[in-house]
Amino acid sequence: MICWPVTATHGEDYKKLVMPAAAEIYSLGAPVEIGNIEQELKKLWRDSEGAMTRASLMNLAVYSEQSGSLQNNTQLMARITENHACRAIVIEADCAVGDDNVSAWISAHCHVSSVGSQQVCSEQISFLLKGGCTVQLPNIVLSNLDSDLPLYLWWQKEFREPMDPQLWTWVDRVIYDSQGWSDFRSQIHLLELMQAETKQRLVLCDLNWTRLDNLRFALAQFFDHPASHHRLAKITNLRIHFAPGFRSTAILFLGWLGAQLNWHIDEVKSSHELRFIAASAQHIEVELREQNGQPVHEIVLTSGDVVFQVTYANCGDLLEVLRTQNDEKRAPQLMPAGNNDPVGLISEELMRGGPHHVYLNALNCVRDLL
Amino acid sequence: MNRTADQPEPNPLREGLAARPVPQPCSIVIFGATGDLTHRKLVPALYNLAADGELPPDVVIVGFARRDKSDDDFRRDLEQSTRKFSRQPVRDEIWNTFAQSIFYHRSEFGDEAGYEALVKRLNEIDKTHGTRGNRLFYLAAGPEQFEPILKNLKAASLNQTCKGSWARVIIEKPFGTDLASARELNRVVGNSFKEEQIFRIDHFLGKETAQNILVLRFANAIFSPLWNTHYIDHVQITAAETLGVGTRAGYYETAGALRDMVQNHLIQLLCLVAMEPPTDLSADSIRDEKVKVVRSLHRWSRSEIAANVVRGQYTKGAIHGEPVLGYRQEQNVNPDSQTETFVALCLFIDNWRWADVPVYMRVGKRLPKSATEISIHFKKAPAVLFNKDLKDVNVLVIRIQPDEGISLRIHAKVPGTSFRIEPVKMDFHYGTSFGKPSPEAYERLLLDAMSGDATLFARRDEVEEAWAFIDPIEEAWHAKKDAPQLYLYPAGSWGPEAADDLLARDGHAWRRL
Repeated sequence: MICWPVTATHGEDYKKLVMPAAAEIYSLGAPVEIGNIEQELKKLWRDSEGAMTRASLMNLAVYSEQSGSLQNNTQLMARITENHACRAIVIEADCAVGDDNVSAWISAHCHVSSVGSQQVCSEQISFLLKGGCTVQLPNIVLSNLDSDLPLYLWWQKEFREPMDPQLWTWVDRVIYDSQGWSDFRSQIHLLELMQAETKQRLVLCDLNWTRLDNLRFALAQFFDHPASHHRLAKITNLRIHFAPGFRSTAILFLGWLGAQLNWHIDEVKSSHELRFIAASAQHIEVELREQNGQPVHEIVLTSGDVVFQVTYANCGDLLEVLRTQNDEKRAPQLMPAGNNDPVGLISEELMRGGPHHVYLNALNCVRDLL
Repeated sequence: MNRTADQPEPNPLREGLAARPVPQPCSIVIFGATGDLTHRKLVPALYNLAADGELPPDVVIVGFARRDKSDDDFRRDLEQSTRKFSRQPVRDEIWNTFAQSIFYHRSEFGDEAGYEALVKRLNEIDKTHGTRGNRLFYLAAGPEQFEPILKNLKAASLNQTCKGSWARVIIEKPFGTDLASARELNRVVGNSFKEEQIFRIDHFLGKETAQNILVLRFANAIFSPLWNTHYIDHVQITAAETLGVGTRAGYYETAGALRDMVQNHLIQLLCLVAMEPPTDLSADSIRDEKVKVVRSLHRWSRSEIAANVVRGQYTKGAIHGEPVLGYRQEQNVNPDSQTETFVALCLFIDNWRWADVPVYMRVGKRLPKSATEISIHFKKAPAVLFNKDLKDVNVLVIRIQPDEGISLRIHAKVPGTSFRIEPVKMDFHYGTSFGKPSPEAYERLLLDAMSGDATLFARRDEVEEAWAFIDPIEEAWHAKKDAPQLYLYPAGSWGPEAADDLLARDGHAWRRL
């Protein structure tokens, strides 16, 4: 049996997951002996029925220390693999338990491909680690990689020492969400240590940054025409509206503008009022306004007599972009806002390649504010 | 692709956001706005770009056509057709915003006053919609209308723009019917627009797999040393369709398969397969290399044409088990028509890389299946080692449509105690590996035209060189004396036997698709 979609009523655990209306709940699959995983996977494909193709473009490992994450992440993987064929390695670690113990399961996520009626399947290997997690982890990951494919490691919640270089030297891209970090500086410090360990080969992929992609795109397009470039040098005011818990997202957005436009922090007046200074000595007054809504739900940028505005449209998944000059409004345009759920953010991130140097520049610009 | 002279300095906020030139705000004026192409392809493509956030907000569509219509009528018609032909479902809120930027301009193509009114309208739109004086003229009308449209655009000074803005024209095929008419068309277009303003669209080049040919060849070092006469035995290019002439008989009767498909699409694909590495990815570097391939095509004498080109026409038969009419029985087709619905060619590229490598091309209607594929057939491995002549060779197949992908046939030992060798296939499917569907060819090409990237558009010399290759064949076919035979083939077959003979004489056979 390849697929295990089990119809179930959504329990409390799944509420956070933004599941489709008629969601299927995927189980962890068949339990397997750790030493027999490859053989059992082969058997899985050999015994499968119907026209199915196994596909894989990468190894996508997800690591969490949260209880119940194995089930939750399996549901996420089922949706992620619809668009990103991979070998999924889902790991839940319970490091507080005394005795070392590892359990494993194998399963597959099959979807009808975008062309024809062929089923395209991604393998998933699930692990429940108990006890000496940091010792077990590198070996668990490294011994179950699909060869010659890149390794993306999605680390949920916080990193903690010791970070084992044995694992990190094999990771191509580490995915994390800095939005939930309690101590940004110590976390980024750990990642930078790993980057140095890997001679800068490790690419840092922050979902908190990915969350800003569509907003950045929407704001950037105002300045595509050379005739509008001079407006960038005349920016005097910036207002960012963000939801509670997403201050770091708003700060990263600010960091992006600062780094790209060569602004520096001039004065931190309060937690919601700052002043930047541009290379031309132009001051930019920044207001950070916290209110309920989308993570970053409005950006208002003033340059001379023109106001550029990007705001979430009422329907939620679209952005309204508006340019007003001397109080004369142009017809607003709609652009995609992207998804803020984990599947949407990871899918967006997996579409990308190359280093995130724009992110690193943004980070450096506002490091002291995070 | 590289930035061209009329493209702006980069926007610092774009860094890291887009790996392609940024399309500019503009007015897109579509001539032939009430026609099929506008409704089926162009506006659905523009809607999809808007829905994906790829279209700059300040883009306006102005439909130019003869029929009496209001802006609202035009928007309603387009909404209906977009709902039918768009690759993604139409969302009301996006359509409503998108539709606010659609206008209709009624005028005869030859009416000077209509163009003067167009100028006023576009200037007004520049003020109200921020299109910044940029104009993209799309000639989706019949080719007989090109000249009056272009002359009037010039007379109204719409071919010129103020500093910092641009005017471009997109021309749909056919780019002429022979070398003389192509030159004349190029002259007419060239009278109104400079070559860098002209975008000749060939939608085959907008397909993902066609673009991937360059990536396959030049981003994978393993193929580079093998891609020449020393290792390649021959190349096959097939563009087969199950459809008959349908409603296109009026055009097809004057064109035929050679002009309709070979002169443009197939030769363009051949260029991508056979070209030398360009010095960079700029439009002209790539097109410089492509045109060299067309120039190197071996030109035949009259007698060589009969031996190397086979033309055919379908008779009644069956497609997917259903009986279908023969070509001559189709509506609006001359009952004595000599128009070819099938062509097979054996051609050679007379250059260092491809010397003595035959390239077999076939294109046809009412063939058993619809597929466009390129296959590279490598030379046989020496027979000495396994003491047998391996009958199958390594074949690299590039599937353009449908089921886009790449496969490689290699030899493998069949498990067992005996030493049996059989061919096996390594297969890459775009649809399997990448869940995200590819954009339609017109989406990519419209974006490129808006950003001034002409890489995927044909240049004047490419078009003319292709006609210079095609013309002698047409002349031979239409000669009063000793014209090569038109072979008949039943619908649902792979064409006339003569097409098989074309390969059999060299010890080859068409790939089984």
